[in-house]
Amino acid sequence: MWIPLAALVAGVLLGASIPLQVPIFYGRYLSVALLAALDSSFGGLRAGLEGKYDNTVFITGFFLNALLAAGLTYVGDRLGVELYFAALVAFGIRIFNNLGAIRHLLLAAWRKRQR
Amino acid sequence: MRTKGSQVAIALVMLVLGLMLALQYRVQQRAASDLAHRRTEELVELLQKSETERRRLEQELAEVRATVSQLAQGQAALSALQEELAKAQMLAGLVPVKGPGVTVTMDDSKRPLQKGQDINAFLLHDEDVLRVVNELFAAGAEAMSLNGQRVIATTEVRCAGPTISVNRVMTAPPIVIQAIGDPDVLERALRMRGGVVEALSFWGIEVTVKKEAEVTVPAYAGSLRFQFGRVAQTGGK
Repeated sequence: MWIPLAALVAGVLLGASIPLQVPIFYGRYLSVALLAALDSSFGGLRAGLEGKYDNTVFITGFFLNALLAAGLTYVGDRLGVELYFAALVAFGIRIFNNLGAIRHLLLAAWRKRQR
Repeated sequence: MRTKGSQVAIALVMLVLGLMLALQYRVQQRAASDLAHRRTEELVELLQKSETERRRLEQELAEVRATVSQLAQGQAALSALQEELAKAQMLAGLVPVKGPGVTVTMDDSKRPLQKGQDINAFLLHDEDVLRVVNELFAAGAEAMSLNGQRVIATTEVRCAGPTISVNRVMTAPPIVIQAIGDPDVLERALRMRGGVVEALSFWGIEVTVKKEAEVTVPAYAGSLRFQFGRVAQTGGK
């Protein structure tokens, strides 16, 4: 459990320290990609708690969702369709669903242990 | 259930997630600060632009002012030169001049010739005319003409047979001299006791002096050609 967390911290530190400046114009796409990535992460956590975790599904979902979200937003911007908000709503709902599911699972596991 | 590979994969994913989080955070920080500063930056840019424009306009104004003053100086110099030129032309006799003055008419004596008298004494000679001209200039005449010939620096008054040559033009008595100057002074200069008129009237040569409110002296009609002389460099420029 500590390896992913350490990797997360390392990523944060790396992102904070590298001299890479994402232009504000692309910050929009990065934010959508980040939302998709968060969704995938929580989905993976939920799957792990449910015992349905599949490594391949998780990794491909993580990267593909992020790229697709950013790419769709970009295409939407080019076409004048605000897919940005659609992505926000869709991934936001999924994240909250996942969080809710994780909470239920954790509670169930906790109660099982209590008994 | 968890293999070593899946651990590494998850770690990789988490690394990327952390990276994205940090990057997005930084972008957001910058965007926020940008929003706060954008207005100020725009205003500063606008101010700089206006100041540049103002400097340019000031420079332009200075240039235009310099041009104007130069032109004014040129204008002043030009008008001074033109004034000078007009005076010089008046003096040289290149322009007609008008003003108060006198008209002097001189003619041969009408007196019948006595036996033993020399007829030459009763005829109007160049010397007589020259005496009158000289007297008039001495009395302050500013411009003069003899029978319509302007008296200039090179004007000759010389007997040429029965005629008098003035400006290489033959003219015969009566000689009409028109002079511009103070009419009273000119008249008195001619008529003074022991003066020209008295001396000439001794021989019966007719001299009439008429004061005029306005006399027009014509311009010199000949050409200005200098075959031998040329301007010697004077002082100054």
